[in-house]
Amino acid sequence: MSSDISFTNETVNLEHLPKYEEVLLKQPHSSYWKIICINLVIFFVLLGIGTGSLLLFVNEIKPNAVWIVPLYFILTAVFFLLFRLSFKKRGYAIRTHDVIYKSGVIAESTTIVPLNRIQHIELNEGLFSRMYKLGSLQLFTAGGQTGHIHISGIAIDEAKNIRDLLLKKLELLENPTTETEA
Amino acid sequence: MDNNFSKPQRESALGIVIMGAHMMLKIGKATFFLFVIAFVKMSGTSFAYLMLGIAAIIVFSFIFAYLWYLKFTFFLDQEKQEFVVNKGIFNRDQVIIQLDKIQQVNINQNILQKIIGVYGLKIDTAGAHGEEVSIKAIDETSAYILKEHLLNRETITATEGKIELDNEKTAEAPFLKISSWTLFKVGLTSNYGQSLALIVAFFYTVIYEGRQLLDAFKINKDQIQSTVTGMLTIVTIFILVACLLIVLLIVNLVRTFYKYFELEISEHSNTLLLSSGLIAKKNTLVSPTKVQITKYSQNYFQKKLNMLNLSLKQAHFGQSKKGHEMQGNTLEIPGCNAAERDELLKMILGKVPLKEKTFIPDWRFLNLPIFFKLIVPVSIFLIITFNVPELKPYIGFSIAYLIIGILMIYISYRRHRISVSQDFIVKTSGIWDIANEIVMPNKIQSITTFQYPWHKSVDVGHLTLHTAAGQIHFKYGNYTEIKQLVNYWLYQVENRNESWM
Repeated sequence: MSSDISFTNETVNLEHLPKYEEVLLKQPHSSYWKIICINLVIFFVLLGIGTGSLLLFVNEIKPNAVWIVPLYFILTAVFFLLFRLSFKKRGYAIRTHDVIYKSGVIAESTTIVPLNRIQHIELNEGLFSRMYKLGSLQLFTAGGQTGHIHISGIAIDEAKNIRDLLLKKLELLENPTTETEA
Repeated sequence: MDNNFSKPQRESALGIVIMGAHMMLKIGKATFFLFVIAFVKMSGTSFAYLMLGIAAIIVFSFIFAYLWYLKFTFFLDQEKQEFVVNKGIFNRDQVIIQLDKIQQVNINQNILQKIIGVYGLKIDTAGAHGEEVSIKAIDETSAYILKEHLLNRETITATEGKIELDNEKTAEAPFLKISSWTLFKVGLTSNYGQSLALIVAFFYTVIYEGRQLLDAFKINKDQIQSTVTGMLTIVTIFILVACLLIVLLIVNLVRTFYKYFELEISEHSNTLLLSSGLIAKKNTLVSPTKVQITKYSQNYFQKKLNMLNLSLKQAHFGQSKKGHEMQGNTLEIPGCNAAERDELLKMILGKVPLKEKTFIPDWRFLNLPIFFKLIVPVSIFLIITFNVPELKPYIGFSIAYLIIGILMIYISYRRHRISVSQDFIVKTSGIWDIANEIVMPNKIQSITTFQYPWHKSVDVGHLTLHTAAGQIHFKYGNYTEIKQLVNYWLYQVENRNESWM
């Protein structure tokens, strides 16, 4: 619309396009694993108290303790293992024109959001996150629930930097259009 | 008449009647049971009170409507490019809509509005909260001029005089008209699913109510059950099925006619105007740039009749807009032929998309559905059958299920493909209704690719394109090719910086 004179249209060589799959991804901050552990411990302690009191006070359930107790420990181990795996697999990268986020325990899924499609940005700090100076960043697009990126466990200073950087870029992207509109 | 809506103005005075009736209906619905109880338990003297109550409601409704009419004003802010509505009887509410956020403008007429001779105008926005404006009474010319203003902000700012010209020029020369005969064919060949759901819901309520009645009148259920099972011979089952099919077709026909009667599509200076409806005429305006996904589908019968269904999907946001809103954001154009489809596609997309490079899924596409939908249920059935001898005669069914299932999954595998050209992505899928979904790369919001670890060695992966009107999946493709495509689309989205709305 705005630049119809300087418009050129050369054939694009697909081989030479920047490759998203080769971008080096940054891992979440190492203290984020501690937060995951704290959350898991809280969950399993509560669960343990619940089942424990049931086993102690309800006579009908008592004979079932033989399999309930081992199941509880197996479940705990499996959860810690799964979360450890998922923690290891997460990664993010900010490129000049888009944000890449990779995650997944079994299936590895990579989501890419171009900066000019971001609707708004949210920076959240939880109770435990604040203790370790971490934050989580959410990027929303118009693509609905599935189309947005949620990166947790970034050092808060870095997260704020990323947010400011993205906001600046968003403004830059929007300014030319608002100028033509006015 | 005030043509450019720059000053705050009220709607048509006849709106009082519409609003009053609307209010009365609302109160009537809320107090319906009160009135029923009053009627049943009424003694002679209280009749007067009842009448008084009704009269009070009518008077109240019209006073409310009058106040509402006084306080409801709207105008167009040319400088800020905003449409402003002031409303609220006791509290002042102001709704401001930026013109470029408007998705579509609907001009409707219900029965009362038809009698009085006014139109209702509804504005659909892409706002996250789904706030909408509805003007209940406006005369026809104002409605169309307003809609023109709302949807064509560029022409307004550029040339004020041109609109008049456009208005005369677009003296309604629809370039597509769906005749009743075509509609008849559409009704016979499509949307069985929705009609079936309707009939099932109907029968469910009938059976439920019937049971309540039986309980109420203390009729012996066993007797009825034995007569019913006595009637269930092979012949009667066939007759019953045939009757059901006929009912299904009739319901389908009626629905199609009710919704799409006299469907016309015309072009209004860069916007599409769709109008249809048997009893209440519905006019919808869409600007082609706001269409996110264009889809056409065709089944075997329709192919023989040279007919297809086209639908235009617009952006829908978040959870705040539930079910019906999402439907409202999909415009259906049934029963156009291939030439008309191309014409429409040209209007919406600029040109007819070509399927340049087609990607097909790997045969592993078949594995999961066959395992979960066929092998697991059939083996469960067989295990049960070997333990329960009464089920033995039904083993044939499971074999038939297996064969039909394999056939359907294989067809869906053969149909599942994605074609990519420079300007378009076309995803084809379906078993009976073969659907083609067309997206332009600049409508992509974000892209997800994923792969199971056991597919790494065979280089198979999945792709999801997120758009504002839903997702497009391509499963079990060549992962190297998918990654290449993703890089290409990212390049297109990020390099051109085109707007998606």
